[in-house]
Amino acid sequence: MNFTWIIALIGLTFGQLSDAKLYEVNEGSVDFRSDAPLELIEASSTELKGLINAEERTFAFSVPMSSFEGFNSPLQRVHFNENYMESKHYPNATFSGKIIENINFTKDGLYTVRAKGQLNVHGIKRERIIRSELQVEEGQIEVHANFTVLLAEHDISIPKIVHQKIAEEIAVEIRAVFLPKMP
Amino acid sequence: MSKFSLFLLLFTLGSGAVLYAQEDDLLALLGEEEETIEYANASFKTNRVINLHSLESTSAGVLDIKISHRFGTLNRGAYELFGLDNASIRIGGDYGITDQLTVGLGRSSYQKTFDGFVKYKFLRQSKGKKVMPITAAFLATTAIQSMKWQNPDRENYFSSRMYYTFQLILGRKFSENFSLQVSPTVVHRNLVKTVAEAHDVYAIAAAGRIKLTKRVALNAEYTYVLPDQLLPGFRNALSVGFDIETGGHVFQLHFTNSTSMIEPGLVTQTVETWGNGGIHFGFNVSRVFTVVRPKIQ
Repeated sequence: MNFTWIIALIGLTFGQLSDAKLYEVNEGSVDFRSDAPLELIEASSTELKGLINAEERTFAFSVPMSSFEGFNSPLQRVHFNENYMESKHYPNATFSGKIIENINFTKDGLYTVRAKGQLNVHGIKRERIIRSELQVEEGQIEVHANFTVLLAEHDISIPKIVHQKIAEEIAVEIRAVFLPKMP
Repeated sequence: MSKFSLFLLLFTLGSGAVLYAQEDDLLALLGEEEETIEYANASFKTNRVINLHSLESTSAGVLDIKISHRFGTLNRGAYELFGLDNASIRIGGDYGITDQLTVGLGRSSYQKTFDGFVKYKFLRQSKGKKVMPITAAFLATTAIQSMKWQNPDRENYFSSRMYYTFQLILGRKFSENFSLQVSPTVVHRNLVKTVAEAHDVYAIAAAGRIKLTKRVALNAEYTYVLPDQLLPGFRNALSVGFDIETGGHVFQLHFTNSTSMIEPGLVTQTVETWGNGGIHFGFNVSRVFTVVRPKIQ
């Protein structure tokens, strides 16, 4: 057997690897909203990262907690990171798992899917199924999802004194545009 | 190359491709993040330790209203309810022009003193892409004592009422729970009572905090005045207290042997001692108001 064969085989193997179509977030944002009787707090991050493996229908998202901006005051942001999210210990919130529906990522269209996976916020993992909209268009995937996070489920405690100012259930909105990952 | 080694090669590459597709690895793939500058924040709960300025500054667009009390000394006994019958007060406000530049004004009942300060943080402790081991700030204050002249018959100058303080604040947040700062200080007094007293009084102040829970911290500060500058009877100020933080408020409860809450008094006019119970109970209440909302970048 000569050397060209080996090269060809290596090429074939890597070809398979790139066949495992990976899509990567090109532009993404996470917004959250805490709507409590006395105070509305909103913040957002544009540092959302994510990958979708079209073949395996697996996905992973990650956002650094310290990248959230907005809030009603700079102090509130410090408290968010220091007292509630403890961003030093749990720097990222992540969601990774598998898409339940079998969809064709090569065919344009709007798909509603359920993303099942582990939502990790404040170091506490919860199994979640999150309904998401996927818009496939010309090789790019736009993802849009709304869901809520119960603070108690992730061991984020609210002191009594600010109970009226922080909602127990936080509304989260995710938007992301995925493009094929460059090798 | 034998068929076996070719098979081995294929197998390794092939299994690599399979691993590549696993979901856990997807998350791991995300982990390859670029390094950013991570600034240390919340080294102290507020921009004062107790009487001393901490290395913190007021955030841009934020007004921090401070109301502080120092009661009489504990050694006054039960007749004066351990000092609670007397109180000295300072009302003040600090404003963050930028995240690094803070200005403030205040008025103390002690010697009817107005004070103003400018504080500029020129180094910020950071790690990651840029490593800076300490935070450093420069503080300049002016105080104007406005009591009636003791001797109105002689020629009095307004400048005699003025006090200036210059302070360098060098500090570090060593861990989530421990921060320490050192502040070389000079207080200039335009008028002193006797020739034996220095116009420029040099001192070194140190302050630290230990975070006890997420919202409660233990603070301590000590001001060491270099020898032979003050008359006998003047002391170094030692203060110990707790910071309790609740949302937009910080309550600082403490014990101190200094009556004054500002630098000139703290450094040059402290006469009480801890040893004989010359301790004031006191508190600072800080409430922040957002005047200019931060923009989302």
